[in-house]
Amino acid sequence: MTGPLLFKDIDTPGLAGLDTYRRVGGYATVLAVLGRQTPDQCIEIVKASGLRGRGGAGFPTGLKWSFVPKGTERPKYLVCNADESEPGTFKDRELIEKNPHSLIEGMILAGWAIQSNAGYVYLRGEFGWLQKILDQAIAEAYAAGLLGRDVAGTGFRFDLHTHLGAGAYICGEETALLSSLEGYRGQPRLKPPFPAVEGLYRCPTIVNNVETLVNIPHILGQGAAWYRQWGTEKSAGTKVFSVSGPVKRPGNYELPLGVPLRVLLEEHCGGMRDGLKLKAVIPGGSSVPPLPASLLDTPLDFESMNAVGTFLGSGGVIVIDEQTCMVDSLWNLMRFYAHESCGKCTPCREGTYWMTGILERLERGQGRASDIDLLADLADNILGRSFCPLGDAAAMPVQGFLKHFRAEFEHHVGQRCLANRRRDSRMGVPA
Amino acid sequence: MSAKVRVTINGRTVEVPAGTLVTDAARAAEVHIPVFCSHAKLPPLGACRICLVEIGLPRKDRDGKPVLGADGGPEIAWNPKPQTGCTTPVSEGMVVATDSPVAVKARKGTMEFLLVNHPLDCPVCDEGGECQLQDLAFAFGADFSRMSDAKRTFVSENLGPVVKKEANRCIVCMRCVRYCDEIMGEDALTPHRRGVRTEISSFDRQPLDCEQCGNCVEVCPVGALTALPYRFKARPWDLRQHITICPWCSNGCSVRLGVRGTEILRARGTERRGVNQEYLCVRGRFGYGFVNDAARLTGALVRPPGAAGAGNALEPASFEEAVAHAAARLREIAARDGADAIAFLGGEKLGLEEQYLFQKLARAVLGTNHVDSRTRLVAPLPGTAFLKATGGGRPSISLDELGRTKEVLVLGDDLQGESPFLQAVLLRGQHQQGVHLTVAHPRRVKLARARFGGVWLGLAPGSELALLNGLTRAALDLGDPLPAPSGGPPPAEVAAGLPALRTALAAWTPERAAQATGVPAAAIVAAARRLREAPSRAIVFGRAYAEHAQAAALLQAVENLGWATGALTAGRSCVLYAGPHSGTQGALDMGLAPDVLPGYVPLADAAARAPFEKQWNAKLGAAPGLTAPEILAAAAAGRVKALWIVGDEWVRSAPDRALVEQALARAELVIVSDLFLTETARRAHVVFPAVSFAEKEGVLVDCERRLQRTARALAPRRGAKSDGEIFQAVARALGAAWSYRTNEDVFREIARLVPGYEGLSWATLLPLGPQWASEPARVAASLRPAADERPAAGEGLWLLSGGVLFQQGSLGHRIELLTRLAGAACARFHPDEWKRLGLTAGDAVLLEGPGGSLTLPVAVDESVPPGAVFVPYAHRDVELNRLGSPGGAGLRVKASKAGIAQRTGV
Repeated sequence: MTGPLLFKDIDTPGLAGLDTYRRVGGYATVLAVLGRQTPDQCIEIVKASGLRGRGGAGFPTGLKWSFVPKGTERPKYLVCNADESEPGTFKDRELIEKNPHSLIEGMILAGWAIQSNAGYVYLRGEFGWLQKILDQAIAEAYAAGLLGRDVAGTGFRFDLHTHLGAGAYICGEETALLSSLEGYRGQPRLKPPFPAVEGLYRCPTIVNNVETLVNIPHILGQGAAWYRQWGTEKSAGTKVFSVSGPVKRPGNYELPLGVPLRVLLEEHCGGMRDGLKLKAVIPGGSSVPPLPASLLDTPLDFESMNAVGTFLGSGGVIVIDEQTCMVDSLWNLMRFYAHESCGKCTPCREGTYWMTGILERLERGQGRASDIDLLADLADNILGRSFCPLGDAAAMPVQGFLKHFRAEFEHHVGQRCLANRRRDSRMGVPA
Repeated sequence: MSAKVRVTINGRTVEVPAGTLVTDAARAAEVHIPVFCSHAKLPPLGACRICLVEIGLPRKDRDGKPVLGADGGPEIAWNPKPQTGCTTPVSEGMVVATDSPVAVKARKGTMEFLLVNHPLDCPVCDEGGECQLQDLAFAFGADFSRMSDAKRTFVSENLGPVVKKEANRCIVCMRCVRYCDEIMGEDALTPHRRGVRTEISSFDRQPLDCEQCGNCVEVCPVGALTALPYRFKARPWDLRQHITICPWCSNGCSVRLGVRGTEILRARGTERRGVNQEYLCVRGRFGYGFVNDAARLTGALVRPPGAAGAGNALEPASFEEAVAHAAARLREIAARDGADAIAFLGGEKLGLEEQYLFQKLARAVLGTNHVDSRTRLVAPLPGTAFLKATGGGRPSISLDELGRTKEVLVLGDDLQGESPFLQAVLLRGQHQQGVHLTVAHPRRVKLARARFGGVWLGLAPGSELALLNGLTRAALDLGDPLPAPSGGPPPAEVAAGLPALRTALAAWTPERAAQATGVPAAAIVAAARRLREAPSRAIVFGRAYAEHAQAAALLQAVENLGWATGALTAGRSCVLYAGPHSGTQGALDMGLAPDVLPGYVPLADAAARAPFEKQWNAKLGAAPGLTAPEILAAAAAGRVKALWIVGDEWVRSAPDRALVEQALARAELVIVSDLFLTETARRAHVVFPAVSFAEKEGVLVDCERRLQRTARALAPRRGAKSDGEIFQAVARALGAAWSYRTNEDVFREIARLVPGYEGLSWATLLPLGPQWASEPARVAASLRPAADERPAAGEGLWLLSGGVLFQQGSLGHRIELLTRLAGAACARFHPDEWKRLGLTAGDAVLLEGPGGSLTLPVAVDESVPPGAVFVPYAHRDVELNRLGSPGGAGLRVKASKAGIAQRTGV
């Protein structure tokens, strides 16, 4: 698979090695920028590029960097959020696995821009094999003088460490990630102060997603205007979409932002497999509301997605076919959120548990008609009331599922799920 | 001084300091915003979400000017989401709504979520009736439950002998975990797992290994953590609640006793009152059992004339008979041998009024100045010594301010055992206010642990004076004593003494101090520099110095250091003496010392004495009497023939067991007033049954010199009398015309007569009384070389002793929980010493001192320095005064392996 930017050389054999990476132009930007452009110039270029965070929230990266206090005596830290745990999202995994040096290069440049001398890559607990790949790439970079006391002979010091999480979705939230990185229980912290002012070890810290950082060498190497040849005015550049579900060719696709969802699914993924019919698409990872088939022409960019009541999110595109039960799907999602709720705040901790129970009842045919309004009300009581976005992430799909597929929920009241009865009979389970 | 901002809450506008949290501002506006996870002593968490409110700010245009709405008022930009009031600081013009539809729905929604998994076992929950969740569900919750699914359940656990955990009730507010970490410095609790399965427990799910303070129970807003000793004992509405002052140490904590009938069923903190608010230590919270102990004295006892011994036992007598007998014998001895043959001892556990009457009885009625409360002193000390070392009575700071002092030097005491609340104040200050701790102690005590970020000056035992001299010299090298915050110079006496002190300290270079103490020279210099250059500083000392063989020199050295570093002059600084008992400061204030009258009036000063003579209608002797150690020697030698010992187990507290036995055997008359038939009382001729702290009202003066009223929580035990009643009865039997009806009458006399207490009114001492202070100082300052008495040379190990948290004084032996927690007393050795003595676990060791020997089980303890042995002094099985002087350094003992453990004194 290829893409215009991040995935251009992704399938080059041996790209994970330093030599191959350099052959395709790797580390050229580090050599061109460090010591030649001031940190402020770098931040301005990233601002001008319109790059927005690729982790899900879409916050302008250059702006975030500019929040780091200048002239502080305290050390500053750069942290890469590689805790890629959003269901349906697997882009960072491929980027690190196949092209670890592009992340290292991005981090060196980001470190230069915010004048940080130490970077951490926080990998999700299940990414043990990626840590090995990354550690090896880091060792190569140290050996080549691209990391350490004197990066590429410029006098700039930058050390890079990897850290494996302990298996909690919440640690993808940046303050929980920092708590975990410090060795504490992974739970979100109060904001403000924001990490850019008071983050890791209470020092100014920038937390960026893997994909965000991998964009940096391209932007600083080729310029903001060049980067803006892809994407829209407000959603510049490309985005990696991780497509899963019953399409012919699931996988990661790097496309310019603004490409319609239909183009991604039908042209790139080859449409639905086995003659299945598309019912819904969750466009940005499990935490965003789904879109019905009727909205397939919506462009994949931040603004257009918001306009139809959902989010671009992490770019995890989950395709749901007509045979899949929406109640069952939502129950599945809710089990995930109830399991991953950190327990810190009441609405998320108790609400996800309660909603899981209600969905289970509905799915088993033991639900009541009032349960559907109850679900909607509970989601409303969680949304915007929880401590961190995890609660919102559990509430928003509920609202989206009910908005577009309420009839399916009503159909479940008092009777066992038809779709699952069909599945059960296929598998020989007595009704 | 922070600027004030105006904030409008539900239409009520209040002015509060900028940065005030919305929940606190609401309190000022008399609007109730409920909270669970928020706690006054903990930083905001924002987890429980019950305090969600709608918040808006004035909309501003591009120039930062407020945009005006149609009605001419500022237009409000409401935050799209409800915000937690407990984490949001107010700002100018902020508008808060707790009654808008959004806020009401958010609060109701959160309330409903809180009850999703909370069991409905309120009828059998100890918290029922005083449960915040119950109250707020009543106030804000729905009248029916939409939750019909199964609740998640946990198994309940006993986390040790104090804490019972019912995790099903937990609402995960994390107050317990945070309190334990930030204020207790224990970090004993932690959440396990996550989400709805979050469960608070110890790290290893073993019984808690901590101070057992029970503050986690206190701060729990629901019944998830309850106190095992109180489990299923009472419903809170059946209890009468009385707030009084804790009797266990000199910190003056308010304690709320829950009483049913004539029995105390529990003790709790007081939420927002007192110096301590919710805080209590394990002794304060669980140490009330002695009040209801069946073994308490319920009548007077009198020994028929003749020597104590077989066939001459104490016999029950009526109170009147005992009073008559005591008065007659006192009169007889005074007539035959003179009043100087009578001595009064003890009184550190009495209330202020009783202390006053005790010495008045001695001085005005009997005419003796042999009065001393300080029965543990090893060396004679003037009655003014402690006040002088702490600034002579000049205005000082409160414990609350101490917790914000930037540099604190703790000298000699393990505060965990001696002053638990003071330790909590300092730990909280260290966590939250940037207090830096320097701990000078031979052992690495809790406060000196690395995790609290302080500096431990691990001095060699016996080198206390050398360290103080080294510190003072290093501080004076940085300049002259600091001026007062008002800009005025330090007292003239300080300036006058400076040259001589500098000369005397010239020899105490950091290097020499380092050589003498074993503390690196750089650490001494740095500690002195921190003390002197910090924006505020405090020096804390306690009984370890008071009961030291070199106490007089040490106290002078502490005063020198206080002036040299500015602790005694600069604003927000202090030198604090945290004495051993609840009435230690009061006893000193009330002249329970042989050389001073109440208010530190010197007996020798005829003009100052005159008002007392007039009020008391008596001629007072100008010559100082004997101090406690001198009384001990005089009684043993037969020169003092009558002793009145009040509330003091003298047999155990006097510095030399052999001598005290001899003194009691030789005395013709020993009067003891106490709660129990103590070892001392058994040797008495008259025993008066006294009442406990919970059965009388009065005033206590804590270590910050704060006067606080105590309350009578229950009727006196049948047959027992308050010490004041006993003193008055004997005084009247001796012919004095005393007619005090209550302690308030006595206090009125004190407020009229005693310098420093003038004009104080009993009525104003609730709930937090004032800290008495006097300007000019009650006792003049002095700066002079602390006599360099070389510590007693000798052989063997240094005997280190000190208070431990779970045992403090003889009353603790009567609290089953405390004795169980304290475990067996062990002689503790450094691993090197352990190896040298060839000890193995289960062994016993024989300690031999100049006065006798003691056999104790042994334990390894890395916090004890090599060349020393640590023995806690307050365990029932340890009678350290059998060895010679107890407590303070200066005693060396021989240690040898003595076979298997046998916990008996020899």
